[in-house]
Amino acid sequence: MDPAVVLVAITLTALFTPISCSPEHPQAPNSTRRHDYCVLGAGPAGLQMGHFLAKSHRDYVILERNSGPGSFFNFYPRHRKLISINKIYTGRQNREFSLRHDWNSLLSDRPDLLFKRISRDFYPDADAYPRYLAMYVKELDLKVRYGVDIGSVRASDPGGSSGRSYVLTDQYGSQYSCGVLLVSTGLWVPQQVPFVGSDLVEGYESISVDPEEYRNQAVLILGKGNSAFETAQSIMGRASRVHLYSPNPVRLAWQTHYVGDLRAVNNEVLDTYQLKSLDGLVEGRLEDIAIVRREGGRRKAKRGQLYLTLTELLNEGARNGSSNVSAQSLPGFHSDNFSLRQPYNRVIRCLGFHFNFSIFDSSACPPRGGGARGRLPGLTAWYEGRGTPNLFVLGAAAHSRDYRRSAGGFIHGFRYTVRAVHKVLEQRYHSSAWPATRLPTSQLLSWILKRVNEASGPYQMFSVLGDIILLHGSHCDYLEEFPIQALPQLVALSGHKVPKRGLLILVMQYGLNLNNTLGPGRAESEWTRAWKSNFLHPVLYYYDALPTDWDMHNRPTGWPLPRPKAVHHMVEDFLTEWDQPISHSQPLRRFLEHCFHTDLRAFFAESCFRFSLTSRNPPLFCRQGYLKRQGIVGNGKLRQHARDAGLMPGHQDSDDLIEDTTVPEYLPHPGAAVASGVHYDL
Amino acid sequence: MFGFILGIVLYLLPQRFTAANVPKLQECTQESFSAKLQAGRMSFIYFGRQVSPAIALFLEELERSAEALEDYGISVAKVNCSKADVEKYCASEKVLKKSYLFRGSEVLRSFDIDTVFDVNAIVSHVLFTVLFNEVRSVQIPAELLSIERLAKGKVDVVFGHVQALGLPEHRALMEAAFVYGTKYQFVLTTGGPVLKHLGVEDPSSLQAGLWFLHCKDVSRVSDRCTHTVMRKPLTTLNLHTFLQMMDVPLLTEDAADPAEVDVVYSHLHVPVLFLFAQPHTLALDRTTAESLAWRLRGEVGVVLIHRGGTDATATQKYNAAYKLPEEGATLKYITFNSVEDAVKLFREKTLPEGNRDDDEDEDEWAVLDVLDDEVAESVYRDRGLTLDLEPVAELTGDTFNGAVARRGLTAVLFYVKWDAVSMAVLQSFIEVAEALKDVLDVVLASVDCGEWTDVCSSQQISSYPKVLMYRPGELAQPYRGMLGTDSLHRFILLSHTGNPVLLSCPSEAHTFLQGGVGERCPELRPVRVLGLFGAGQDPGISVFKDAVRALRGEAHFGLFAGGQAEKWAEELSVQLPALLVSRWPGVRSQAHAIRLSSVQELLTLIRRLLLEPFPELTVDNLPWYLEQKKPLLLLFAHDGGAEKADALLEIRGLLEKGQLDAYLPCWIHMGRTPAGRSVLETYLGFLPQLPALVLSQLSTGGEVFHFPTERPLLEGTVLQWLHSVESGMEKSTGVVTDGTWTPAVPFYDFLSIMDEEMPGYASQRDPKTKTTSTKGPEEQDPGSPVNSPSPHRHSEL
Repeated sequence: MDPAVVLVAITLTALFTPISCSPEHPQAPNSTRRHDYCVLGAGPAGLQMGHFLAKSHRDYVILERNSGPGSFFNFYPRHRKLISINKIYTGRQNREFSLRHDWNSLLSDRPDLLFKRISRDFYPDADAYPRYLAMYVKELDLKVRYGVDIGSVRASDPGGSSGRSYVLTDQYGSQYSCGVLLVSTGLWVPQQVPFVGSDLVEGYESISVDPEEYRNQAVLILGKGNSAFETAQSIMGRASRVHLYSPNPVRLAWQTHYVGDLRAVNNEVLDTYQLKSLDGLVEGRLEDIAIVRREGGRRKAKRGQLYLTLTELLNEGARNGSSNVSAQSLPGFHSDNFSLRQPYNRVIRCLGFHFNFSIFDSSACPPRGGGARGRLPGLTAWYEGRGTPNLFVLGAAAHSRDYRRSAGGFIHGFRYTVRAVHKVLEQRYHSSAWPATRLPTSQLLSWILKRVNEASGPYQMFSVLGDIILLHGSHCDYLEEFPIQALPQLVALSGHKVPKRGLLILVMQYGLNLNNTLGPGRAESEWTRAWKSNFLHPVLYYYDALPTDWDMHNRPTGWPLPRPKAVHHMVEDFLTEWDQPISHSQPLRRFLEHCFHTDLRAFFAESCFRFSLTSRNPPLFCRQGYLKRQGIVGNGKLRQHARDAGLMPGHQDSDDLIEDTTVPEYLPHPGAAVASGVHYDL
Repeated sequence: MFGFILGIVLYLLPQRFTAANVPKLQECTQESFSAKLQAGRMSFIYFGRQVSPAIALFLEELERSAEALEDYGISVAKVNCSKADVEKYCASEKVLKKSYLFRGSEVLRSFDIDTVFDVNAIVSHVLFTVLFNEVRSVQIPAELLSIERLAKGKVDVVFGHVQALGLPEHRALMEAAFVYGTKYQFVLTTGGPVLKHLGVEDPSSLQAGLWFLHCKDVSRVSDRCTHTVMRKPLTTLNLHTFLQMMDVPLLTEDAADPAEVDVVYSHLHVPVLFLFAQPHTLALDRTTAESLAWRLRGEVGVVLIHRGGTDATATQKYNAAYKLPEEGATLKYITFNSVEDAVKLFREKTLPEGNRDDDEDEDEWAVLDVLDDEVAESVYRDRGLTLDLEPVAELTGDTFNGAVARRGLTAVLFYVKWDAVSMAVLQSFIEVAEALKDVLDVVLASVDCGEWTDVCSSQQISSYPKVLMYRPGELAQPYRGMLGTDSLHRFILLSHTGNPVLLSCPSEAHTFLQGGVGERCPELRPVRVLGLFGAGQDPGISVFKDAVRALRGEAHFGLFAGGQAEKWAEELSVQLPALLVSRWPGVRSQAHAIRLSSVQELLTLIRRLLLEPFPELTVDNLPWYLEQKKPLLLLFAHDGGAEKADALLEIRGLLEKGQLDAYLPCWIHMGRTPAGRSVLETYLGFLPQLPALVLSQLSTGGEVFHFPTERPLLEGTVLQWLHSVESGMEKSTGVVTDGTWTPAVPFYDFLSIMDEEMPGYASQRDPKTKTTSTKGPEEQDPGSPVNSPSPHRHSEL
């Protein structure tokens, strides 16, 4: 263990354990409460972390400025339909498997604490979500302190032996001192782009959701994401024209496999656009545009109509909004068939949200992440703020790690990353190593197949969370759902050593996706071409030594991991059931055999009997089963099949032989007296 | 010794059939005959009198054979008995029908002229006789295996099949054996099961065949020798070419232009295939070339041409070229799309007629899709059948807890459907359930862990399949025995009886030991263990009871305690507390005084007592005995026969005299345990006469010794033999392999396929050529144009 980590662990216990928390009493101003763990925000990510902290009996508190959990969902999405699917019937009874298709529930040990108890709609009403979260808080008895509005967060870094902690100040000036700060404040500050006339634009957060208010209006929506389309879909029955404008062409979730892209449930406007029914999509930079108001000629309208133009066409006065706009300032004057030449009654901004950096003091502020145009905080692969030790970011705000690549920005994804972060915390602050299942190597194949066929974490957090298998030779340690970008830090983060024989990593991945998503040849069924699978499929990476940061940084383009010693793709399956002997199981076994450099076939007891008598090193399966008295006898029919296949030497089976029931003569004769007095010295 | 002949034959081979017909058949006088014998050479001589038309025909053939046999240093002659009356040979009545092969004056063999009816028959029979010691003939697989075994690591084996002796193929084979006999071990068969062993489906339809068994490079005794089939007709010329091909490198490499390159294959009259390697895929190309060379081994010479920067010719345009052996054949360039294409080209060219090996080949190629796991394959073969789970209660997350809490014993099998081992065990489990249908208070149930994953993790199941025994109010007891119908059935029945049976008087105790009391299923013949305790030994009793609980199912237990027990023990002169162990009804029990300290120690003791001193090894019980790690003194015996009983008694005698303490004396009944047959065969290389006594130093030296069959199997001789083995005077007859089990089939290397099909796709990025778009590791989505970041992206929240 890293000495620095020991230090922090000691500090935490020393500092915080003696003080107890009594959430019922309103706190006196300027008082300070201390907790080992403070969770900021009682949304799905905060509550999910709360559950794991409670389960491991940690001193924690969840601070929430509103009066109930998940307040975001009281208002968003504006048109009140969740697009996270709530699939109640999967044809299976496996709870873990069912979570692959339940995008709303949080993780817990209670089999019934699922979202389907609240709503049975496939696309549920948004009001159901806070209700679900309230139920989750209540049934798990999570410690949430409502009405605490944290206005500032600063780091307290006294130096010396005690580690860095964070001090949070609420609206009353009360302070919370936190050994570890878990920021799960979500994304709720509307994203804006500065351009001339942005003040004339309404925001998604404030528009009317009554379609009647858009009657016969021409509406320009800035943005082409789900909120833009959701808005367009809501008003298209009343508005005269709906145009959507943004830099990038629309990206369809069913093409990109990214749930943040436009979901089919919201895409009716694509239909009316392509069928030339007065709606349309246009691409262009947002920074270059200007929205200007022009008085509508002689017929004095109540409000002037809004025109989209380009900043470069405006004169100085118009740029400052001080003078009326001339016809020459409009693009239609210069280019008579400019698409957006007609005026709009409304312009609506639907550009998404960004992380609220404003509450963080410079000492405690994570930097802006590289992706997502700086809307999200920059994080390490284990979700700790870069440069803010002991401050972790959870939930939607942690999406910078897998922005547009996986599901970490969504409940069905981050519920697993939260669990992974919790395991990191347990190891770092409490020296409790990442939970591992120890398996005999002969059992690894069936265990991998089990994970591949039911595990929901790697399935939802594809390319991000992977199972790690440490190869010790005759046995393996199986670690579930490790954030694979943090692989170079595996030893420190998990508390497990990397054995000499190396490690395997099991990841679910989408493929190259070069084909037309719905076109011919989109699916691969030949297992030898599995690496060309387009759909989600399991991939195993074998390393003989832990990859370094350098390896990770220079990994092949588009790969979640560096080039391994060997790789195995399991061919995509239409039913996502990877359990067939020829296409799935045997190729996987041969890959494992290569990694272990040993024969991993199963043998009947009879074969093990032969090998055990004629070889000093029988196959592993015999050593771990038969020679431990747990051989697989099989019945006569199966053994005959094996003989017919030429896999076992042929001879008459013993089953139909009459057993010799006479007393063997070599046994002690009845005449021999009781052999007495053999004294075992125990 | 054959070196010079090799040269001759090589030189002669092409001309053999066109050589001028100079008469070589001498007619001997009495004097020249004697001189011939004294010269000490080999000679084949016909003795005759009158010349009938049939004889005239034979003489023609004999004359032709003279020419052929001369190459081998064998002179051919005839003696006209009417002119030169050579005594002994001309005297016989059958003189018209006989010819003799002499080495010096010694007759090696006489031949009826019906046998040596033509030149081929003469040459083949004569050479076969001469090579009697070099060429082995076999009929059954065991004989071939035995030869293979001896050849491993030493010499390659040429295995030929001819339908009958004396045919041209036999001659070709014998001529080859004469030339190559010191280099390879030649083996001959005229059919029989050995051909099936080599994968010939219908041996009777096979005219002739030749297999080259690559044994020389096999280092582990457990490995089979791979073989190459000769595909061309079995003629001297083809055979010669084929054997030469076995001797040259599988693959040669060159950097020259294929038109100019001079390779060893060009001189062997075989087609030569040139494959062009690209500099950056050299390793991969080499692998491909090797695999192709293996498939075409013996037929085509494969050359890997390194494409350098200098040659701008056709090597850039095509990926291969070939040249056929025919005179004047030119180099042809070609592009293959697959290894298959290349194979096809030569198969069609060299074998215009359909060949029986084609199917075999396709199988070999499709080896990746053939299940080579015996359990997986046997379960897969039953895929059309639906298992009738009816006798087994299928438990769910809702019913599990109730079911295992019910009265009596519930045996639960935890399994997953994709695991072939689980499915094999499930079949046995159903059979047990069927057999125990009518037994009160015993229920067999199953949990599908693929579906009820919560139930399985709550029961801490981390390996499949797993059988747990549930009894109300007790922790689940894992079943630790063989996962087979008989073992499970026995275990469940035994563990279900009252354990231990409480006995109250000496007669009950006596009956118990004889198998009378508390026995629900006498047919199981369990070992009976009776705990005997005096008055006031209650702590001991509870230790005994705990131990018995853990041992439920492994034996039948009884408990006799108190004053009566004390008295009875006195009668038997046994010190208390004690265990009485009885193995067989009617056989007196053994008593063991015990000192009870902990349950674990008592458990270990009882387990040790349950082992037999001279066990019959079976598939089910072997692991128990191997744990002792002693050399096995193993008697292989078959059903009945006085010999077997005698042998057992002799060893028993030694055992009782305490002279086998260093060994584990045991025996295998070949009828009950047919797998013993292949064990014995592996030990010795053949199946000897039974009973056979073998000393297998399985965990010590790894050597195997066979008690000589000619010696009588008696206490004294066995002991003597063991002593001489110990003192290193006996030669081992075999070894127990200590090689490790490496993968039987190589894995499918996706990385190299990627490198081949999409160069660069799987390569680490070169940090020097980093583009501006790669700011950090999280931005590698090729779908997101980083240069024009868009602010419009939404989460779905």
